[in-house]
Parts: sequence; structure tokens; C-alpha cells
Amino acid sequence: MNLETAQILLRVVLAIVIIGVGSFAYWLVNQRLLVRARHNVFRLFDTLPNKPVLVYFTTPDCAPCKTVQRPAINRISNLLGEQVEVVEIDATERPDLAKAWGVMSVPTTFVLDARGEARYVNNGVARAEKLLEQIQAL
Amino acid sequence: MTQTLQKVDHSALKVNQLFIISLNILAFIFNLPLLAAFVALVMGIGSLLKVPGFGFVYKNVLKPRGWVKPDVLDDNPEPHRFAQFLGFLFMTAGAVALFAGSSVLGWSLVWLVAALAALNAFGGFCVGCAVYYWLSRFSLPGFTKQPPAGTFPGMKPKVGASR
Repeated sequence: MNLETAQILLRVVLAIVIIGVGSFAYWLVNQRLLVRARHNVFRLFDTLPNKPVLVYFTTPDCAPCKTVQRPAINRISNLLGEQVEVVEIDATERPDLAKAWGVMSVPTTFVLDARGEARYVNNGVARAEKLLEQIQAL
Repeated sequence: MTQTLQKVDHSALKVNQLFIISLNILAFIFNLPLLAAFVALVMGIGSLLKVPGFGFVYKNVLKPRGWVKPDVLDDNPEPHRFAQFLGFLFMTAGAVALFAGSSVLGWSLVWLVAALAALNAFGGFCVGCAVYYWLSRFSLPGFTKQPPAGTFPGMKPKVGASR
């Protein structure tokens, strides 16, 4: 291995480490969001539905919500039927909920387990496959 | 106080950010200060023309082919332009440092720009916009816009463009 190749490899490793640190910081922020969601789940339900819940924050004019996120959630609903509860929240109508859950942009989706514990959060568009994977992992 | 918002296509901004991130990482890996300078140049041209520097790729390639869908929101374009200009300044400083032989400073600045672009692209938070809104609180000339209603300064607006 010549010196140039070694330097490129070293830089690749450095880049991976830097990206890893950034990803870890992002993960930490998401963990904080999940904690906030856990503390505010009572704002959504009087009694828990005892099944996984998909909480979907949207707004009427959010373009990616209409074109990508809504169809993905419809797919999940069709596939899992009564096994999952979908709760859609319009952040413009319920800014208090969006604030309490720490939602800063739409679409944002949370996956809650049957005990009402927020287990996953997706900032931005989440594909149906990803949501399904998260629900099945509960 | 009410203000008139404009339609801002956030997909164009995101494509711009993704190009900046990718090219900066490639510049670092292959030790190409010239590529970092190229990114600075494109961001500078974008600032002059008041458009996202790499937005031409979105406008001419990605959007017409339907590979990236528009995400048009009611927003202020000025903070995004300011953010790009700040990025241009950091990238230029980074490129100059690299050509002057100060690798650590140069690559740190290049990584800083990539990190801030990533925060915007993946986290929806525009640090440059937040700085703009912070400066607007001091009534500085040229910094006149306020964040869209209900939007935390620097965050992507939750409300889409009215049609």
C-alpha cells in the first residue's frame, strides 16, 4: 500500500468517525423527543388502545405529507388493519400537542407500543417499509 | 406585526445542502482543496444570484424527471440566502486556509459547513437562518424578516404554501 492510498484510507476512517459522532448526536436528540412523547402520551388518549399506535403529525398543505407520507400510512393501515391505531394530528390545529411532543417539522411520525411507550420517531418522510419494520419490532 | 411570506421550494434547498455535504466529504477524503474552492465558488454565485448554489441540478435535472418532488412552503427566502452566504464565507476561508497550507483549520471549516448543511437537510434546522432572525431582533439594516408564525427561528416551517 503506497502512502497516498494510506492517506485516503485514513481520511475515509476520519470521515466515518466524524459522521458517526454527528449521527450519535442526532440519535441523542431523537431519544429526547421520545422521552417528551412518553411524558405527553396522556394528551392523546384517556385510555390506551392496547395496541401499537402510529402518531402522525402533519399539516393540510404539507406537500410530502400528501404525496409520500399519507400513502405510506394508508399502506400500513391496509396491511395491518385493526392491529394498529393511526392517530393523525394537524399541527396547525393542535400546536399545543406539536410543541409538547417536540415536533419541529412535518411530517413527523412516532411509533408507540401497546403500553403507550414511544419507541421510534421519524423526522421527515418515513417509508411504509420502515414504519412496518418499526411496528413489527415492538 | 404581519409580514408577507413567499413560496420557497425547500426541495431545492435540500438538494443544495446534499451536494455541499457530498462534495465537501469527497474533497476531504481525496484531499482536494480545489473541490472545496469549487463548492465555495458555487455557493458564492448562488448568493449573488439569490438562488441555492446547486439548485440548478434540482431545477434542470431532478425536478423535471420527477426524481425529487417540490416541497413549497410559505417562508422567507432572505434567511436562506443569508445562510448560504455565511456558508460561502466559511467555505472560502476554509479553501484559503487549505491553499495556505493550514490543513487543520481548512478542513475544520469545510467540515463545519458540511455539518451545518447536514443539520439543515436531515434535522430541518437552519443555523444561518437562526442567526439571521437573531440579528433581526436588533433591527439591523437588511435583517427585517421575522420567522413565519408558529415556527421556531431557523426551523423549517410547519405550514405549507397556501394555494
